[in-house]
Amino acid sequence: MSLSIKRMYQGNTSWDFLGVSRRVLVCSAVAVIICLAALLVRGLNLGIEFEGGGVWESPASEAITTDTIDDAMSSVGMDDARIQRIKGGDDIFRVRGELPSEETAESIGSVLAEAAQVDPESVSARTVSPSFGDQVAGKARRALVVFFILIALYLTLRFEWKMALGALLAVAHDIALTVGIYALFQFEISPATVVAFLTIMGYSLYDTIVVFDRVKDNERSLSLKARMTYSDLANVSLNQVIMRSINTTITSVLPVVSLLVVGSLFMGATSLQEFAVALLIGLLVGSYSSVFVAMPTVAKLKQKEPHWAEQDRSAEVLSASNSIENAAVTLAAERYDRSSPPRPRKKGRKR
Amino acid sequence: MRRSHILSLLLVILVAGASFIGVLSAGWKPVLGVQLQGGVEVVLRPADEVTDEQFERAIEIIRNRVDAIGVAEPDITRQGNQVVIQLPGVKDKQRAVDLIGQTAELTFRPVQGIFDSEDPNQLSGLKQYLEGLAENSDSGGLSETSEPTDSEPPSLEEVLTPPDQDDASAQVVLLGSEGRTGFILEPAQLTGEAIEEAAATFQGQWIVNVSFNDEGAVAFDSMAVANYERQVAIVLDGVVESAPTINATEFNGQAVISGSFDEQEAKDLALVLRFGALPVEFERDDVRTVSATLGEGTLRAGVVAGLVGLALVGLYMLLYYRLLGLVAVSSLAISGATLWSIIAWLGESQGLALTLAGATGIIVSIGVQVDSNIVYYERIKEEVRRGRAVRSAADGSFRAAFSTIIWADLASLIGAGVLYQLTTGTVRGFALYLGIATLIDLAVSFFFMRPLVVLVARRLVNERRSRLGISETKEEVAT
Repeated sequence: MSLSIKRMYQGNTSWDFLGVSRRVLVCSAVAVIICLAALLVRGLNLGIEFEGGGVWESPASEAITTDTIDDAMSSVGMDDARIQRIKGGDDIFRVRGELPSEETAESIGSVLAEAAQVDPESVSARTVSPSFGDQVAGKARRALVVFFILIALYLTLRFEWKMALGALLAVAHDIALTVGIYALFQFEISPATVVAFLTIMGYSLYDTIVVFDRVKDNERSLSLKARMTYSDLANVSLNQVIMRSINTTITSVLPVVSLLVVGSLFMGATSLQEFAVALLIGLLVGSYSSVFVAMPTVAKLKQKEPHWAEQDRSAEVLSASNSIENAAVTLAAERYDRSSPPRPRKKGRKR
Repeated sequence: MRRSHILSLLLVILVAGASFIGVLSAGWKPVLGVQLQGGVEVVLRPADEVTDEQFERAIEIIRNRVDAIGVAEPDITRQGNQVVIQLPGVKDKQRAVDLIGQTAELTFRPVQGIFDSEDPNQLSGLKQYLEGLAENSDSGGLSETSEPTDSEPPSLEEVLTPPDQDDASAQVVLLGSEGRTGFILEPAQLTGEAIEEAAATFQGQWIVNVSFNDEGAVAFDSMAVANYERQVAIVLDGVVESAPTINATEFNGQAVISGSFDEQEAKDLALVLRFGALPVEFERDDVRTVSATLGEGTLRAGVVAGLVGLALVGLYMLLYYRLLGLVAVSSLAISGATLWSIIAWLGESQGLALTLAGATGIIVSIGVQVDSNIVYYERIKEEVRRGRAVRSAADGSFRAAFSTIIWADLASLIGAGVLYQLTTGTVRGFALYLGIATLIDLAVSFFFMRPLVVLVARRLVNERRSRLGISETKEEVAT
């Protein structure tokens, strides 16, 4: 184990990512199915921004219980209001419900302030019309579709359509898992979590692009007569970028964990907490999917191309023992050996 | 090559440092959004189809109203078919919400009669009168002292005109703004469009000066002649704001409303008169008031979490990449200073506030920034392991690394651009700051990170690989 960590640190690993990916993908598929099932069965716990209604928040002292607040709310016709005490640095009461027609946001706020025995100015309130959520959701959907189309175009132009497909599949996988976890645990969906989902998509794509960029770079440096299968090429490339992926994930996760721990546990900022949870799940899933979903998809598609299919056949005949390490050696040789004619390149790239 | 590197380094430090110090000495600070300092946020949407011109005019009126209540950093923007109004730090939140939301037509209606809405006898009489009015549409005077009927006294709702029947050309029954006095009002004679200017002034007592435009002046005078020594109600949003008595028949376009106003009431009435009639009726889609304490708590939590996160990231980079980690930390510092300057400048010149979502966008961009460093450093380490000299690897790896950085950042920029164009509110703020931070990342990577890495590789590393976090043990080099 210590040896493999050392090799990792030296960037000298030769893991068979694609070989493992088949088994891992089964787990992924099961997880996605569970998440989709949860989404269908339990649905999403939508915040007031999507459902309409009101939320009031006030500081909560130890002496007052949620029952007191409940009574006060019932007295103004908010029997269905959901009342929570949210723990944190300073506890807060949170009341969520439909605004009775004869009351205003302000009057409910002062009822809450009176029941909680605090200054009305310290009450925060938010009321949202029911149609607002439809608009927000509609806009987000439209933005998402445009985003997917543009990214697919971009990746097709920059790399090729097979890679675009792989990258989008990975993103879809990440979103399905994250949204599924929200359905499973009934976390509340707010605009902040939508922002988190979008961030996750961004990160996942970013990660995938870095991997693909390396594969393309390596592919270009191969000469036509070089013996190497596409999965070996992909595996070598993955091994080359794996430390970057791990390090980037660690450095991206660190601020999020600190947001989660410092921000919410010690200081009681719930809006930050919701955001951080979504982000944390998404970041981890996102870097995983670049390696185990995006790349295998592309490899599968690429192996059907005549050139790579032929490489696969000749590799079977030779049945080299440690094909990944051999491939790494071949690739390094191709890169530095200028005597063999390089494959035609689109851009005048050095080295 | 080397000279240009040093020049580029110095230039970046100079630009980032100068703008940062400039912003600090100018006293510019980032304007904090409603969620970070408390205040009011309102999202309005027109109830019906409106033209662009009407929409712009309505926003102008809202802006005037907001300016009139004196909010330090109001941010009023049209986002698609919505108006997003952010009033960070506003003191009297409910008053702000009310003033912004006031969208109804302002009308002047002669007063036919007044009643006490809490006196059942008067309510019964009023009901009989109204019923009689409905049966034979001849108008008789209101009998203030009609006999009590046998039936239950009517509730207030029965006699008041419902909001959907509050028509300018109809006779209506409305309540005063204090909620007790009821008014029976004739059809409207004048609307808010007649008013050119209104201002509250103090002349022994608080009064409101009103001046009318040419058409308005004529219409007002003819109303004054017909209603001399009678009351005329100023009605806004189905509520009688004020019902002054007409004491002259010729006003020449200038009127004075006096009464027992206090300062606030006089100023509010002037505001209503001036900006009363919005050409658009708005629905309040989202109204949010955040208390100052909650805002401060969130801000403090965000700042502490951000700093702790940054410190952890810096520590990790130093441990893993050693000297190169130092470059990463300085890149972050340069980006941070630049970002701070830009945010402060946006706040100062555009009134653009840093929102909670924007702040999270920035925290996310720490990851993007650090990744640019990691991509580059991993390339360098790879080349060095293959046996290349550190100084040549540092120079040579940048091209490939920067290409990766550009392509990956471009995807982030596409995402930010799409979100900024197509969404509103929270998500839009996030997209804006993510986009800005990504652009800064590209610039800092090219003009700062690269020359600094080359410099460090030449001057400080001295070909000792351990200083880059590469173990000295001899590795087999593929040839």
